[in-house]
Amino acid sequence: MIIKPTSNIILGIATEILYALLIILTGFLICLI
Amino acid sequence: MILRPRTEDLKTIGYYLGKIIIGLGLIMLLPFVLAILFNEINPGLDFLISSGISLLIGLLLSRLCFTNKDLNWMQGMIVISFSWLVAMLLGAIPLNLSGHWKSYLDACFEAMSGFATTGLTLVQDLDHLSYTHNLWRHLGPFIGGQGIAIVALSFFVKGTSGAFKMYVGEAREERLLPNVIHTSRFIWLISITYLILGTLVLGIIGILIGMKPVNAFFHGVCIFMAGFDTAGFAPQSQNVLFYHSLTFEIATIIIIILGSLNFNLHYQLWVGRRKEIFKNIETKVFFTSIMLAFLIVVIGLNRLGVYPKAIILLRKGFFQLISGHTTTGYATIYARQFISDWGNLALVTLIAAMGLGGCACSTAGGIKMLRLGIIFKALKEDIKRIILPEKAIVTVKFHHMKEVLLEDKAVRATLLITLSYLTLYGIGALIGTFFGYPFLDSLFESTSAAANVGFSCGITDAGMPAVLKLTYIFQMWAGRLEFMSIFTLIGFLVAAIRGKK
Repeated sequence: MIIKPTSNIILGIATEILYALLIILTGFLICLI
Repeated sequence: MILRPRTEDLKTIGYYLGKIIIGLGLIMLLPFVLAILFNEINPGLDFLISSGISLLIGLLLSRLCFTNKDLNWMQGMIVISFSWLVAMLLGAIPLNLSGHWKSYLDACFEAMSGFATTGLTLVQDLDHLSYTHNLWRHLGPFIGGQGIAIVALSFFVKGTSGAFKMYVGEAREERLLPNVIHTSRFIWLISITYLILGTLVLGIIGILIGMKPVNAFFHGVCIFMAGFDTAGFAPQSQNVLFYHSLTFEIATIIIIILGSLNFNLHYQLWVGRRKEIFKNIETKVFFTSIMLAFLIVVIGLNRLGVYPKAIILLRKGFFQLISGHTTTGYATIYARQFISDWGNLALVTLIAAMGLGGCACSTAGGIKMLRLGIIFKALKEDIKRIILPEKAIVTVKFHHMKEVLLEDKAVRATLLITLSYLTLYGIGALIGTFFGYPFLDSLFESTSAAANVGFSCGITDAGMPAVLKLTYIFQMWAGRLEFMSIFTLIGFLVAAIRGKK
């Protein structure tokens, strides 16, 4: 249950936020077209 | 031949239902603690009374129906169906006592809307609702998003086999870890980690835009809980529009996207398999579906010249689309603007996006991206079969945590659930039309309820017919549980009436 190392969690969260930002950025590009 | 349920069945169902009710009663003490901190005496009493009633019923049930037996599949499904109804009835008590809902039915509507992570509301004078009741409104989605039964049972139940049946009953098919109790605890780990992060971010943004620190963090925790769990409740009647901040809106978009991702995907990423996010069928379909839908929405809005500037298009058009697609229901426009401003093309696309929903095994509602991906893969397989020579063996694979071979059994299950959702959207729209609302408005509201979105185009109001309120309650319940446990409950009731001893 315990996930090791903690850096995996931090990088995991960063990847998820990156995915969300990619969606927002692509959305904004569509707004600009 | 249908067999009438045995006393043993009823006892086992009653025992586990009692445990869940005890869990609910204990959770009701959280708003009571807040009431003490904020010196809100009367709201605190509402929760003390409700918690007392819940604990009494729960203890009585679990005592009278005491059993050592584990649940079988049928009993597990029945417990889930009933527990959501009982949670609605008990969760509505403190709301009704507050006087901010016109009737007990309205309070039940609000409670089901919260637990099912929908976000449709019938509250009166929300801007003057106590902190305590507001916390309960937002705590509902946070509990319901993880699963009411699994929340209670991950702390009470020793046997994991029965817990797994309830886990499946709450529309979760994927086990992240071999043990379902560990799985549900990991879901809690994700939710609590993001709760802390999200509240901090939203709280700081709140302070920066001029809110008092206590209010900023209270709003932060509320917006996070209803956002991550794709419910769409907000502490103010103007919803996210209240904050008038681009930064706040972008933070909210990130939170709702994170909430609509598969918990299994979170797990894969958190154990270091980070490439999964770019390979998974769901994230690919989700991204494509959002962009295609938004492109059509932009065409529709531009044709009418609704939002002439790109940044306004992002804040109004994209925000509403992403909020609808993730089945959250946070809004930065007023309810009637969907009908008066958006035009048919953008509106119908938004309804379709709402109906499709977020990822499977997340807090999002709707048909789900995994099912959409499977339907496309099945279509691809059939087209291949037509094109290739008859003797050719056609196999189609997709990537969902691992390489999965597409089987007819999975396609059948996917199409059955998809058809059930479409029927549910249609029936709600027909009932709305029956009561005199325009068809498109009715379809919008019905899809919003059944896909657990929470957008309203104005139909959801304390003055709407009671039958329509009951229809939406049923839609929210059935949509959240993804039908199987509801169908089992119907079968159980038929067996109880017509079955042989």
